[in-house]
Amino acid sequence: MKYTATVLLLAGINMIAVSGCTVLTGYGGMFSLGQAGFMSIGAYFAACFHIYGHIPFLLAVLLGALVSTAAAVLIGFPVLKNKLTGDYFAVCMLGFGEAVRLISANFKPYIKGAMGLTGIPRKTTLTVVVVCTLVVLFLIRNYLKSHYGKNLIAIRQQEVAAEMMGMNIMSNKMWALAISGFTCGFAGALYAFYATTMYPTTYGSAKSTDLNAAVVFGGVNSLSGPMMAAIILAAMPEVLRAFAMWRLVIYGLLFVVIMLFRPEGLFGNKEIAGELKRLWRWIKRVWAWRTTGRKEAG
Amino acid sequence: MAIFLQQAITGMSIGGIYALLAVGYALIYSIFDFTNFAFGAMMMMGSFACLFAVNSFGLPIWAAFAAAVLITIIISLATELVAYRPMRTKGSSRLTLMIAAMGVDIFIVNLMTLIFGGNIKQVNYAWPIRTIAIGPVNVGFVDILALVSCLVILAFLWLFLDKTIYGVAIRASALDTNTAGLMGINTNTISFLVFAISGLCAGIAGFFFGFKYAVYPAMGGISTKAFIASVIGGLGSLPGAVIGGLLLGVLETMISGYVSSTYRDLFSYAVLIIVLLLMPNGLFGKNSREKS
Repeated sequence: MKYTATVLLLAGINMIAVSGCTVLTGYGGMFSLGQAGFMSIGAYFAACFHIYGHIPFLLAVLLGALVSTAAAVLIGFPVLKNKLTGDYFAVCMLGFGEAVRLISANFKPYIKGAMGLTGIPRKTTLTVVVVCTLVVLFLIRNYLKSHYGKNLIAIRQQEVAAEMMGMNIMSNKMWALAISGFTCGFAGALYAFYATTMYPTTYGSAKSTDLNAAVVFGGVNSLSGPMMAAIILAAMPEVLRAFAMWRLVIYGLLFVVIMLFRPEGLFGNKEIAGELKRLWRWIKRVWAWRTTGRKEAG
Repeated sequence: MAIFLQQAITGMSIGGIYALLAVGYALIYSIFDFTNFAFGAMMMMGSFACLFAVNSFGLPIWAAFAAAVLITIIISLATELVAYRPMRTKGSSRLTLMIAAMGVDIFIVNLMTLIFGGNIKQVNYAWPIRTIAIGPVNVGFVDILALVSCLVILAFLWLFLDKTIYGVAIRASALDTNTAGLMGINTNTISFLVFAISGLCAGIAGFFFGFKYAVYPAMGGISTKAFIASVIGGLGSLPGAVIGGLLLGVLETMISGYVSSTYRDLFSYAVLIIVLLLMPNGLFGKNSREKS
């Protein structure tokens, strides 16, 4: 039972992180290679707030996430102000992630540089993660259903046209980046209080790849698709030990295959709830046809 | 002063390799408008080819060079044929191509890590450890060799692009791929050529990196520096890539010599962001604002 609980906990944390990346990449079309940097910032700050500032656990996690949001705004301002898109944006974020890793590996006071921060109390329980995941998902869903979400879709599809329609490109993208910074920082902080240790290498480029993989596999314009992918991708290394080693190789291959044959992702432009509803309606129709058909035959 | 000159020449030697890689990036970017993130992985494969040619088969140095270049050209063409060309014919967006390129990179790097392990390997070949004294400066033989060969290859590349009919076709495609196609240029041949040339650049860079430093699967990360170099020079501009590469090499060596070697990489990323802020088109780039 404890094993299942651990897998669920890791899946929940992964879902929180991926939900922000869905806003950024799936809806906003901004491919970032440095999301792990936000997780690192959230984790380090939350742990430090708790250990050195004696701030209660959940408040420290929230504050850590807010610091990582601030970092997202700080890096986002110059990057988005200059309208960097596509490759430029991706590499700027890669630079950001690497910068976070380098600084945290060489910053000795409080976080102990490359030695890593140990002795973080284990406070994250399954209940906390489940509640947090539900709250974050509810908020993200509302955000994506609001006009902010629609604006993001418009900007991804036709940036110039969206600008002509009077949308503020910069502020819309900034919101997306800030939200992804918040959820990634939040997830990072929760994980730090679960793992009880935090190293500069905990969130490296492999973590960024994990997050992007969930969004790319799950699909654009969909929240439930990436969420599904987040659960599967978090559970796979735990359930299949062999998969943990081959994971990144398979991700790489799947990136190419999915981009070749289904660039919108497995659940692109679809929500699982909507698909289930359609399936249910179809079953009801078939059922109704069969019963009426029988009556006529009888 | 002597130390400064020493640093400058070492920097030039690294910068020459950056320049080669940056040219590989810029060439593909100028024609296909996307960044081939698989480039670092190709360079790594070149280094591994050297490693095996020398360590396992005991081949001479020129054979190792040939092996490195051959393997990178093959990989470059294979990714083009399997991944990029079908996507382009389907009219996929730039983001799609970029994610696919990332996928190729992740695939190759992690496959190599799984097969050969992540540790650092050394090519067993003793270069003549001779230093050449130029005035007050002692320069390593390998440094000079790397710099000179990079410059020679870049010169040949420039001659090829500037003087031959294929070079003209490539430059025409860089200007406007669709119109070049309408003018009777076979764009498939051109893409083949371009990917072969960029593979060649990756192979040569991999050869020198493998011999000068060490060989390990994650070494492709160095190519991020080359990407930064090509951004400094203006993405898609070949002279810009060369100058950006040399500039970044020298700046980096100066930073690690005079300030701190731990923060050298941080500095490179800072340069990237500052360049993008102050002159988003780089030194020689054309206007890069995307028009939909």
